[in-house]
Amino acid sequence: MKVKTPYRAAGLAVASCLALTACMSSGADGGAEDGTGPIKIGISLPLTGDFSEPGKGVQRGYEAWAAYVNENGGLLGRDVELTILDDQSNADRVAADYEKLINSDGVDLVFGPFSTRLVVPAAQVAQDYGFLFVEPAGAAEEVFTQGFDNLFYAAPAVADDHYDYLADAIEALPEGERPQTAAYAAMDDPFAMGTAYGLKDRLEEMGVETVVDEVYPPNTTDFGSIAAKIADSEADIVVGGTQYQDAVNMIVALRQLDYQPRMAAFSTAPTNPEFPEAIGDNTEGILSPTGYTPDADYPTNAEFVEFYTEMHGDAPNEDEANAWTTGQVVAAAVEAVECASPDPDCQGQLIDWLRENEVDTVVGPLTWDAEGRPEGAHLIQQYVDGEIRIVLPEEAAEAELMLEKPRW
Amino acid sequence: MSLLVQSLVLGVLLGGLYALLAAGLTLYFGVMRVVMIAHSAFLILAAYLAWWFTNQTGLDPLFSLVLTVPLFFGMGVFMQRVLISRLRPATLTMMSVLLTFSIALVIEGMLGFVFSGTQRRIRLDYGGASFEVLGANVAVVKLIAFGLAVVSLGALFLLMKKTQFGQSLRATIQHPDAARLIGINTDRVAGYGFGLGLATAAVGGTALALDSTFYPSLHWHWIGPLMAIIVVGGLGSIPGAAIAAMVLGMGQALLQIPLGTTWAQTFFYVALFVTLMVRPQGFFGGRLAQRF
Repeated sequence: MKVKTPYRAAGLAVASCLALTACMSSGADGGAEDGTGPIKIGISLPLTGDFSEPGKGVQRGYEAWAAYVNENGGLLGRDVELTILDDQSNADRVAADYEKLINSDGVDLVFGPFSTRLVVPAAQVAQDYGFLFVEPAGAAEEVFTQGFDNLFYAAPAVADDHYDYLADAIEALPEGERPQTAAYAAMDDPFAMGTAYGLKDRLEEMGVETVVDEVYPPNTTDFGSIAAKIADSEADIVVGGTQYQDAVNMIVALRQLDYQPRMAAFSTAPTNPEFPEAIGDNTEGILSPTGYTPDADYPTNAEFVEFYTEMHGDAPNEDEANAWTTGQVVAAAVEAVECASPDPDCQGQLIDWLRENEVDTVVGPLTWDAEGRPEGAHLIQQYVDGEIRIVLPEEAAEAELMLEKPRW
Repeated sequence: MSLLVQSLVLGVLLGGLYALLAAGLTLYFGVMRVVMIAHSAFLILAAYLAWWFTNQTGLDPLFSLVLTVPLFFGMGVFMQRVLISRLRPATLTMMSVLLTFSIALVIEGMLGFVFSGTQRRIRLDYGGASFEVLGANVAVVKLIAFGLAVVSLGALFLLMKKTQFGQSLRATIQHPDAARLIGINTDRVAGYGFGLGLATAAVGGTALALDSTFYPSLHWHWIGPLMAIIVVGGLGSIPGAAIAAMVLGMGQALLQIPLGTTWAQTFFYVALFVTLMVRPQGFFGGRLAQRF
C-alpha cells in the first residue's frame, strides 16, 4: 500500500504528540519531581505457583515495612506506596512485570522478587533502566555472576557462606578433636547445594575426609538408601543441604539405621516450627544456619518483631525479615542521598551509596562486595535442651555450642 | 558387605510398599480399562486422614483404617457408578485419564484448602525404632508397611481366587460380554471392583503416612513410578504388579549404591521403555494390555 507523504508526515506528527502527552501524563502523576506525592515502589512477587508460600511471606514483610514507615513519618517526609504484581512464579512474567512497573506505572523505586530463578531476570530489567535492585531472596552464586552492578542481596550471607561460623568453630578445635570424616547429602537445588558444599570446601581444607557425597532430586521420597550409605560410612559429621521434607525424612531414615554421628547439620528445616513437631524429642544437638531469628538483639529488630506481631498475630520468619531488610536497605540509601525518583542520576547515587556504606538492619549490619554479595555469615543455631538457640558466633550466642551430639 | 545387605533389606521393604500402592491401579485397569490418575491423590488423601485421625484422637494411625477402608470402598463404588460408567465405552480409556486427572486436581486443591500446603508428618514413638537382622537394621515402621502390603495383597488374592465375587470379577475382567451372558451383573461387579481398588489406596496411604512427610501435591511424584510398575507387571495383573514392584524397588535400592539417587530413579523409566519395546503387554500380564 502506498500512502502519500503529507499524510505520513501528519500521521507521524499525531503519533509523536500522543507519545509526548503519554510521557507527560505519566510524569505528572508520578509526583516524583515536585517531591510531594507518595514514593511509589514497584514489586513483582510469586503470589501463586511454585513459590507462592514464601512469596506471600515476602509480601507480608514488604507490606508491614511500608505500614511502619508511613506510621513513622514516611520516607523523606513522603508516604510510600507499594504496587505489588503477581508473577505466578514465572520467569518470563517477572521480567514483563518489572518492565511494566518501570515503564508504564512510573514507579520511583523497585524491590526484588523471591528466589534466584526470578531474581535474575528481574535484576536484568532493572539494570537496563539503571534502577537500584535490592532483593530479599536470591542467595545462589549464579545471582552474583551475571555482571549486575545494581544488585544487592538484603540478607546476611550467600548460600556458600551460611556455615562459616560453624567451620570457624571446627577449625578452632585441636586437630585431634575435629571430626575426621564427613558425609554430605544435598538436594539438587542451587541454594541447598550451596550451603552444604560451602561447608564441604571448608572442611576439606582442614583435612576432613569426605566419605559420602550424595545429590538427590527434589522429588525424592525414599531416603532409605541414602541413609544406608551414610550409616555405612560411619562419618563423624553429617551435613544435609536440605529444604524441609527431605531433612525430616532423612533424619528419620538415619535414626532407623541407628547411625549416631558426632555432629549433624541441616539447612533450612530445623529452623521451621514444624520441625520439632515432626522429629519429636530427638532434635537435641542438631545444627542449622539461620539468616534471621526474632530473638536477635540487633537495633531495630525488637521494633520490627513487635510491629509485625501486632499486625499479623505471630512473629516474623526469615522471608518476612528479609523483605523488611530490603525496605531498610533502600530506605537508608534514600535518606542518605535524599532522592527517590526513576531518574538514572538518582538511582546511580543510591547504588553508589550502598557500595560504600554499612546499613543497620534487623538481620544485623550489612555490607556488600562489588557483585552484591553480603559479606556476613549466618548465625548458627542448635537444639539445646529441646529449644533451638543461637550458639555461634559467640558474641550473639544464647547457649553454648554442643560438640558431641547426644544419640537421636 | 553390610551396605549390600542393608540395601537389599531396604529394597524388599520398599518393593512391598510399592506393590501395595500399585495394586489398586492395576485392578482399575483390569476391571474396566480405566487409567486412574487420581489413585495417588487418594493415597495422599488417606495419609492426611490418618494424620488427622491421630491428631484428633491420639490413637495409632493404623486404627484409622477401620474408618478409611469402608469410606474409600464406598467412594470407589460411587465414583464408578456416577462418573466413570457415564463415559462412552469406545473412548473410555482416554477419557478416564482426563476425568481422573481432574479428580486428582480437586483432591489436591481440597487438601490444600483444608489442611494448607504445610508439610505434615505423623509423629510416632516407634518412628525411628529398628532391630537388627543379619547385620542390617529393619525399621519397625517400614516393616509394618510391608506387613500391611502382604496382608492386603494376600486378602485381595484370596478374594479373587476363592470367592464367588472374585470369580465374577475375574470373569468381568476376562470377557465382560460372556460374563453378562451367564448372568453376572457386570455393572455392579465393576463398581465393587473399583471400590476394592480404592480401598487398597486407603491402606497404602496409611502405610505411606507412617514413614514419610506428605503435602497436597506429593501425589504427582508417585503416579509416574506407580504407572511404570503396572505397565512392567502387565496391566490388570495384580501378581504381576507385585512382582514388578519388588523387582523395581530392589533394583532402585541396589543401583543407588553405585549410581547415586538421581540415576537410580531413572531405573523405573528405563524398565518402562524396555518393557514397551520388548514386551508391550508387560511381563506378567495377559492379552489385556494389547488392547490398550
